[in-house]
Amino acid sequence: MYTREEIDIITLCSFEELTYKTKYVLLDGLQSMRPDFVKFENMLIKSLSAGVYNKVKGRYFSEEYRKRILQSLEKRKIICVTYASPDYPEYLRQTPFPPITLYCKGNAKLLKTRCFSVVGSRVTAANVIKECKKISGELTRHFTVVTGMADGADSAAAEGALESGKIIGVLAYGFDFTYPAFNGELMKKVEEKGLLITEHTPQIAPKAYLFPVRNRIIAGLSEGTLVVSAGEKSGALITAEYAAEYGRHVFVFPYNIGVATGAGCNSLIKKGGLLTENILDIFSAFGLDFKEPEKEELTEAESELFALISAEGEIFVPEAAEKIGKMPFQLIPVLTSLEVKGLIVRLGGNRYAAV
Amino acid sequence: MLSKITGFALCGLEGVPVEVETDVNKGVVAYDLVGLPSASVKESKDRVESAIKNSAMYFPVNKITINLAPADIKKDGSHYDLPLAISILKASDQLTADTDGIVFLGELALDGALRPVTGIMPILISAKAKGYTRFIVPFANANEASYLEGTSVYALSSLRETVDFLTGEKQFKPVEYRDFAALRSERSYNYDLSLVRGQKVAKRALEIAVAGGHNILLAGPPGTGKTLLARCIPTIMPDMTFEEALEVTKIHSVSGELSEEGIVSLRPFRTPHHTATTVSLCGGGNVKIHAGEISKAHNGVLFLDELPEYTRRTLESLRQPLEDRIITVARAGGAITFPADFILCASMNPCPCGNYGSSYLTCTCTPAQIHKYRNKISGPLLDRIDLQVEVDGIKYEDLAGESNEESSASVKERVEKARAIQRERFKDESSSVKVNANMGEKQLKKYCRLSAECEEVLRAAFEALHLSARARARIIKVARTIADLTFSEEILPDHILEAASYRSYDSNNL
Repeated sequence: MYTREEIDIITLCSFEELTYKTKYVLLDGLQSMRPDFVKFENMLIKSLSAGVYNKVKGRYFSEEYRKRILQSLEKRKIICVTYASPDYPEYLRQTPFPPITLYCKGNAKLLKTRCFSVVGSRVTAANVIKECKKISGELTRHFTVVTGMADGADSAAAEGALESGKIIGVLAYGFDFTYPAFNGELMKKVEEKGLLITEHTPQIAPKAYLFPVRNRIIAGLSEGTLVVSAGEKSGALITAEYAAEYGRHVFVFPYNIGVATGAGCNSLIKKGGLLTENILDIFSAFGLDFKEPEKEELTEAESELFALISAEGEIFVPEAAEKIGKMPFQLIPVLTSLEVKGLIVRLGGNRYAAV
Repeated sequence: MLSKITGFALCGLEGVPVEVETDVNKGVVAYDLVGLPSASVKESKDRVESAIKNSAMYFPVNKITINLAPADIKKDGSHYDLPLAISILKASDQLTADTDGIVFLGELALDGALRPVTGIMPILISAKAKGYTRFIVPFANANEASYLEGTSVYALSSLRETVDFLTGEKQFKPVEYRDFAALRSERSYNYDLSLVRGQKVAKRALEIAVAGGHNILLAGPPGTGKTLLARCIPTIMPDMTFEEALEVTKIHSVSGELSEEGIVSLRPFRTPHHTATTVSLCGGGNVKIHAGEISKAHNGVLFLDELPEYTRRTLESLRQPLEDRIITVARAGGAITFPADFILCASMNPCPCGNYGSSYLTCTCTPAQIHKYRNKISGPLLDRIDLQVEVDGIKYEDLAGESNEESSASVKERVEKARAIQRERFKDESSSVKVNANMGEKQLKKYCRLSAECEEVLRAAFEALHLSARARARIIKVARTIADLTFSEEILPDHILEAASYRSYDSNNL
């Protein structure tokens, strides 16, 4: 059940007519948890027009309206965690413009756990996707993984952490929408096992400008942020900037020179991002321990081929066959076996890379 | 006077004897043609009249009634001209020779010449089965008629010649029997695998596909030789047997696509453009039901270039024939079954721009675009394509210089050995199971027992490669073929792993 204070905030946040800034001012820069309609009357009339102001004010004080709002949220199985709630995540509270209400679907208790965000570009190489999955799975030993539910790296992070249920997906739009549509299944799983949150009322549709704004929540929730891939202008860079601004650790995967999907990552490292190769790099920054699982046993053919792939980073099947002195089709079973053991990934175009 | 002449009607690929009964009587001058003739048969009156006049005979100026019996089958095509003309000549007493047991087929020109017609081969085959042995066909159809043993076919060039032949005024020899095997050994394909540079992985997949009769999808950047690879598939398939060639020839004969040679001696390779309609692909039509591309590719290869560009509806229509290997086209006028036993080879780019997965070109597609592009091919259709293989992107340097590539002939040898093993394996099975790809659940259980180790490998592969459950049977079938290619009685883990690698488009990760 919500307290009277919480219901006040939920009601205020339900007004789509008011911008975040107006709500922020109404709460006196989040100093008070009771919107002061008297003090800011002139300002509101000026920015909203008298008609809209009266409508909003009328609804705010209407018990019937409040009941309707709460019912509609309940029907959608949405739980609200407001700035006034004790459940509101501490790390997020410390940021300059925190969301006033977090609409949650799933296990809201995750908000009180230690969080770590894994973000990246939608265009991410297959081997990085695999690595991203692995590392977010490992992160769940000590953290809840926070990510943006976009295609590519975000989805990989979600999938990696899904098994443990320690996953928070932060959406940039209301719960009535699913974007990208083909991610619907994954979102459902995250909702069932983990948690989906957004700062928007359910009716808000996805808009391009909402995504960078959302990134402040991802960064704000987390004690650290890992950027697995980022092009020159990737949204993941915005998340990293917020994280740095909030004084949190920024971890970055390094990339080879000239790899377009990693140009942003390398520039983050130049700016002071922590170069990260594996989970130890992250855990050691927080003083946490980690034990690596035992390695799979390899046959002679497998270890020969794996040695070649690790040496070259990436191989092209016919070329590798020539180097090893076998027919390409003789390599295929070995490659598939290594893939099954999770040591290499298929990049497409008959190329494989080590992970 | 009344006369009866035998012609033939075509119902799909089946010939049905048609009695042409003509009655010439005194009365008001008339010409009545009954017995469900289509427009092209009705029109024959004018051709027949001119042809008779121009062959130095006369067209009776009487009441002429012609009946095409049985009267409940629709008659279509131009091959009724000759029986009609002969029948009129007999009914008007201009021809008294014996015509019993002779089947007449041919279209007449206005000057009395005999023009070639379509569908000679299927008619001859059906007629022979029904006990007819003597035929008169247009001269231009002689080749087509020459491959059937035990028939005497006379290929004549005009109505006059026909009359002279019947009266015994001129003598003609029946068309000489030709041996199919001799002809086949002379013919060769225009393509050869040795023309394809590199592409070792794709070539291996083609070999497996042909050896086990599996369908195959080639995915790769534009301009890397997907079409050339596909064109090489017939060159590594075993030669057609005479029976197979006859099946194909029947379909091509009815469609009027037969070459001068008169028989299809090379395996057909059909490439319908992606604007093809469902009817053109599967067959259809109103009065006469035509065979579609999938039937014309019978015993050969159906190549669908740029698979995602085909309309969804068209592609979905392939699902049933891919499973049953026949297609029944049902229209208001009746249902006709055509054979459609082909290897489906499809090609596609990995993404709309074509560069996804390339090591040296950048893909400009967004993930959503790639999802959309790949989703154009439905799961059930993809499920029927056993092998999904990636074609390597190639650079200029790969094409320059010399290289030694294996020829189609040596690949074909291996394929034939693997096919021999399969023939032996399926000798007690029904005729619908000829190759590994045809196996149903029952045969799968019987011939593809997996050892515990294989089961374990397969289970691990499913988990790691995110394969869809329905891929299981496909992988086992392909593994069986790979085992056959290495003369291994047992399916080994390596065979399973290789087969699993050919399901890359099944797994959801891009």
